[in-house]
Amino acid sequence: MRLKVDGKEMEAREGALLLELVQVPTLCHHPHTETRGLCRLCLVEVDGRLSPACATEAREGMEVWSDTPGLRALRKTLLEWLLLTTDLSLAPELQALALALEAEPGRWGEVPGRKGREAIEDNPFFLRDYAKCVNCRRCVDACGDGIMGVYALTLTGRGLLAHPTTPLDRPLPETPCVFCGNCVQVCPTGALRPLTEV
Amino acid sequence: MEKPGLLPLLDARLPLTEEGVAEAARLAGVSLAQAWGVVRYYPRYGEVREGRYLVDDPVARARGIGSLLEGTVGTHPPLGLEALAPAYVRVEGEERWVEVGGRAEPFATFRLPFALGHGRKLLPPEPTDTLEAYRAQGGLRALEAARKGDLTPEALLKAVEEAGLLGRGGAAFPTHLKLRAVARGEAPRYLVANGDESEPGNFKDRFLLEHHPFLVLEGALLAGFAVGASRVYLYIREEFQAAIRGLKEAIGALEEAGLLLVPTEVFQSGGLYICGEETALLESMEGRRAEPRLKPPFPVEKGLWGRPTAVQNVETLAAIPRILEGLEAWRREEPKLFSISGDVAAPGLYELPLGTPLGEALRRAGGEPEGLKAVLLGGAAGVFTRDFAFPLRYRERLPLGAGAVVAFGEGVDLWAVLEGLAHFFQEESCGKCFPCPLGTTVQLALVQRRVRDARLVEDLASTLKGSLCGLGQSAYWAYRSLLEVEGAA
Repeated sequence: MRLKVDGKEMEAREGALLLELVQVPTLCHHPHTETRGLCRLCLVEVDGRLSPACATEAREGMEVWSDTPGLRALRKTLLEWLLLTTDLSLAPELQALALALEAEPGRWGEVPGRKGREAIEDNPFFLRDYAKCVNCRRCVDACGDGIMGVYALTLTGRGLLAHPTTPLDRPLPETPCVFCGNCVQVCPTGALRPLTEV
Repeated sequence: MEKPGLLPLLDARLPLTEEGVAEAARLAGVSLAQAWGVVRYYPRYGEVREGRYLVDDPVARARGIGSLLEGTVGTHPPLGLEALAPAYVRVEGEERWVEVGGRAEPFATFRLPFALGHGRKLLPPEPTDTLEAYRAQGGLRALEAARKGDLTPEALLKAVEEAGLLGRGGAAFPTHLKLRAVARGEAPRYLVANGDESEPGNFKDRFLLEHHPFLVLEGALLAGFAVGASRVYLYIREEFQAAIRGLKEAIGALEEAGLLLVPTEVFQSGGLYICGEETALLESMEGRRAEPRLKPPFPVEKGLWGRPTAVQNVETLAAIPRILEGLEAWRREEPKLFSISGDVAAPGLYELPLGTPLGEALRRAGGEPEGLKAVLLGGAAGVFTRDFAFPLRYRERLPLGAGAVVAFGEGVDLWAVLEGLAHFFQEESCGKCFPCPLGTTVQLALVQRRVRDARLVEDLASTLKGSLCGLGQSAYWAYRSLLEVEGAA
């Protein structure tokens, strides 16, 4: 199957994700979870429409652009907004990306965010520090449909206030949690982290 | 497959206790985690404070929200009361009231005044809220013909195609394409009437549902018949309690008359703007947080419970019986409903031919375009404009949305109106994808500081455009258009 990526003809196998064919940043996508299409950092232009590369399969004759001025503005701006609203101090990859995109968060002025959230220490194994959470949902998916099928995590709130929580907002030991650590493994920002390594 | 919906099970257990949530989860066959995520998403499952709330719509913002807020405990999202603004909602125990002009009426019985409607086809000049009244005005003929086999699904689809009917909810997608795609799918198939009208400035669906339930139902049943639906759902904004009761009575009357061609039921919406987005709507019906799905697949392929589903706006459905009555007459007029409010002498709902110039629409409602500062066209997902010659038609330079027209006189502070819209988007963003909750929060901060930096607004636009659904994708339109209007002034 042939398609055109950034002006160049390309060969791809049937059913390949565009993410395998283009160099774009990702954040919510993780091979072991079902989360996809949320962070929008991997958006590309497909036949004139914005599509997440992590959730779009290559098709014969497709025309894909991965680095237009609009997409560059989007990635840079998104990083700026994440830096403004969220504590990314334990997310070195995102910091490096912000540097590469020449992010200048200050240009937006003061914006209310989620940095003020207090960390929850309700079990001996790991910390839930939602000031660092970008709400990518990998942990919720890993706990539920994606890996474990335990369903000890869910989401609370809407908009920028939305973040993971437990059923009935109970401390983790009072939920079905088996402390398998999968949620900690898949967290990209250090919002979930082992207590022993802090 | 189909299980009892979580939302109705939770509704039946209000006010919620932990035991009630657990029981609803068990009966719905979902995890407690899923049920808790739902409880923590929809406002009516949270704590509702008693007291008086200002209905925070663009007209209230234009009048100056500061003084209107006196004696209130906060604001309530728009309720389709723009023609009566300022309006208040009072919450006392389990009871909610609409307060307009010093008079209060419970949600259970409050309807928009019938006198607000001005039209002929989509808005019959006489009430049609009983089967007899509707029949006396020529209604039910298409439904009778379908029952007798004189009207086939294909003939119906063909008529809708020839009428050139475009979806009246705002997206203007050709109705026949959607219906045909579902009709081609494998059974069971569903038809959902989207009556979740929450767009600021719009009150056409509310009016239709409250005063012409049989017209809407006939349209929904005809569409359901055309796609071979095994069930028709009327997804109605939860706050429209009088409409919900009227629809249930109308369903009963049609059943008694042997005209309920497809089993039909009312589903109370989740009570959020995002519930009008068709995939979020389906998520709420399936008992989850009303968050938009990634598309494709589209609902016409995988909709409710994974089955082919046509989600159609209320006004779109109401148009179908009228099209079948007379295709030529329909095409000549192409009637569309416009909710006109703000600084006009006679705010209300006006049925006008598509293509009517904006200025003429305003004059019909007793407005004087010359004396206006601007008009908000389409709603929150709309634009400010001074182009009064603009023909009110789909696929033109400006978005028509669902047909909201809010007029602002010379004295109005348009930035105060814009702040209301920005606040609305920030409150209603579901938070699933990244650009929307971040961008709507940033936008509100910029608007509050009255930032006119075109470069920043362009980057805001480029980024919001990347949102998962139409809510985020359109959230910057009003902001950018206000800068344009100011530049041109």
